[in-house]
Amino acid sequence: MAQIPAQELLTRETRVHYGKAPHALAGQVVAEDCWQLVGDEFLMRAGAGHWFYYKQGHGVTIERGPGADHSAEPLWLSGSVYSAVASINGFMPVHASAVCHDGRVYAFKGPSGAGKSTLVTALANAGFPLFCDDTLVLDLRDPDTVQCLPGHKRLKLTDEALALTGAAREEKVGVDIGKFYAQPSAQYAGGPLPLAKLILLDEGDECAFEELSGARRIAGLDEDHYTAHYFTMARQFDLAARFAHLSDLAGRIAMSRFVRPRDLARFADGVAHAVAYIGAKPAP
Amino acid sequence: MLTKREALFTQTRIDDEIVVMLLASGEFLSITGTGADIWERIDGTRDRATLVAELADEYDASEAEISADVDAFLTGLKEAGIVAGS
Repeated sequence: MAQIPAQELLTRETRVHYGKAPHALAGQVVAEDCWQLVGDEFLMRAGAGHWFYYKQGHGVTIERGPGADHSAEPLWLSGSVYSAVASINGFMPVHASAVCHDGRVYAFKGPSGAGKSTLVTALANAGFPLFCDDTLVLDLRDPDTVQCLPGHKRLKLTDEALALTGAAREEKVGVDIGKFYAQPSAQYAGGPLPLAKLILLDEGDECAFEELSGARRIAGLDEDHYTAHYFTMARQFDLAARFAHLSDLAGRIAMSRFVRPRDLARFADGVAHAVAYIGAKPAP
Repeated sequence: MLTKREALFTQTRIDDEIVVMLLASGEFLSITGTGADIWERIDGTRDRATLVAELADEYDASEAEISADVDAFLTGLKEAGIVAGS
């Protein structure tokens, strides 16, 4: 049987309707600001009364209880819910922001606050079309290639990042969230597209790229973030199965580490290094 | 004889590197170069002396030179709990 194209499948599975959501999965009530993923179901409670429920084949149900912050809904949908839906349907979400060049994706991965969104905004301004912000979804179904799904692209930047990149400020991401949606002065890339490189963001005194091999690739893929937790739970990985998965992935993905100082005065220097690194990569 | 305690780890090879994960802690060990040669010869059929003799022959070095490297490597593996014997 032919595979449903990944993008079509995710668009279908992330359709939203409003109504009553369950407040428990597998008999366990989900606490405030917590989530559960059991089998083909995902339930998240954002704040006191904002419920997001997904069941495979049935889309996403949102229940807006008293005190729900409606303004933050797109953030939850494009981050946590999108990652959970992807995981349950066999795709791998990665906490990364990405641009593309010559039809391939360059993704920057790092913990929250590492500067992923700020860097890809600057790269987009430098002419590399933006591919995604914060959540990159990988389609690993073809053993010969790692495909990236475009997913959600709206940039989310702090005041400082807006000032650094000159991106146009749009509405606030959420009442209690110190970021704004932003518009870069660049085009957005379509997709799906193959992954060229996964680049880990790190801090150091001087700007430099370093290619990663072996254990460092596995360690770089082994992230402690909700996106990874969703995927691990959806695939029901134990420690050994997760290691086998990461080992396989490490053998399929080219990875590097981008070290740069977290000094506002040297931000442009870091961007220039990244532009040179990506721009120097030949098309396949 | 030197043996691996297979139930306590899982491993993979990426490029020229053997990556071992300790199942108790999730910690990774990276084994390269001569270490990878030693690791692959720990299969329950060789003791330390045989291992040293084979490596000395392969690397065209004296057993005294090889011994120090082998002992240091084996000590690390034994401390990690994934190799037993002598």
